[in-house]
Amino acid sequence: MYLPSAVTKQSEIEAAIQQVAHALAPDVVRIRYDIGEDWSGQWAIFFKVVLSDDAAKRRLRDVATKVVWGLAGQLDFPSMGVSPYHNFRSVSEQAALQEPAWA
Amino acid sequence: MLADDLLEDARHLAAKGDEENRKSCMRRAVSTAYYAVFHLLIEDFVEHWEFEDQRARLARMFNHQKMKDAPFRPKDKNNPTVVEVALTDVITAFGQLQGDRHRADYDLGWNIVRTDVNDAITLAEATFQKWRSIRGEEVARNHLLSMFGAKIDRVPDA
Repeated sequence: MYLPSAVTKQSEIEAAIQQVAHALAPDVVRIRYDIGEDWSGQWAIFFKVVLSDDAAKRRLRDVATKVVWGLAGQLDFPSMGVSPYHNFRSVSEQAALQEPAWA
Repeated sequence: MLADDLLEDARHLAAKGDEENRKSCMRRAVSTAYYAVFHLLIEDFVEHWEFEDQRARLARMFNHQKMKDAPFRPKDKNNPTVVEVALTDVITAFGQLQGDRHRADYDLGWNIVRTDVNDAITLAEATFQKWRSIRGEEVARNHLLSMFGAKIDRVPDA
């Protein structure tokens, strides 16, 4: 079974995530991720980005763009064999949903 | 243009979903935001086809996955041009919106929230703006041809 090289680069991914989250704090509260197949069956990395309520409400596009570029600047997704997807929610939304994958 | 109408529809659906906390409208807003961008690109391609009565048929030849998978790398990835940066944003946004559209239409387990909808709408709006600013550039036109399914010309070695 084919596995993308991203699977073996978890520490590199974690380091990139920490750096981006730190650089964009307090707008970015935390970033989680998982690797799996997307709708078309291709390997993908799914980033789950929790934003402050203020950032989610007032600066979503700006912060989201910085997250996307920040991660792409540090991680070479094509060579890792994955397509990136980024999803965002606010602290309040996550508090209401309590989804473990975003915690 | 259909693309502009769809983007406006997406905004209306987002507002209704927000006002009434209606998940079906929120999902339709995300899905419609994707289709707005999908048609933005297709309309741009087919409007250059001389035979107007054939444009609808030509438009139907576009394939969602081929469009997403069309390859692109800046000539110098460490020093991309302004146009290449904008095109990369359009490509990334297209893949993101397409993935979100599938979740919105088929993933009943998705707990969609307001931020998901706002993200899709603002991403689509930004993509309209970026695409329209670069649509006449050679690199953008070549990528649109790749999205249609054309193979990339190989650049001869120097």
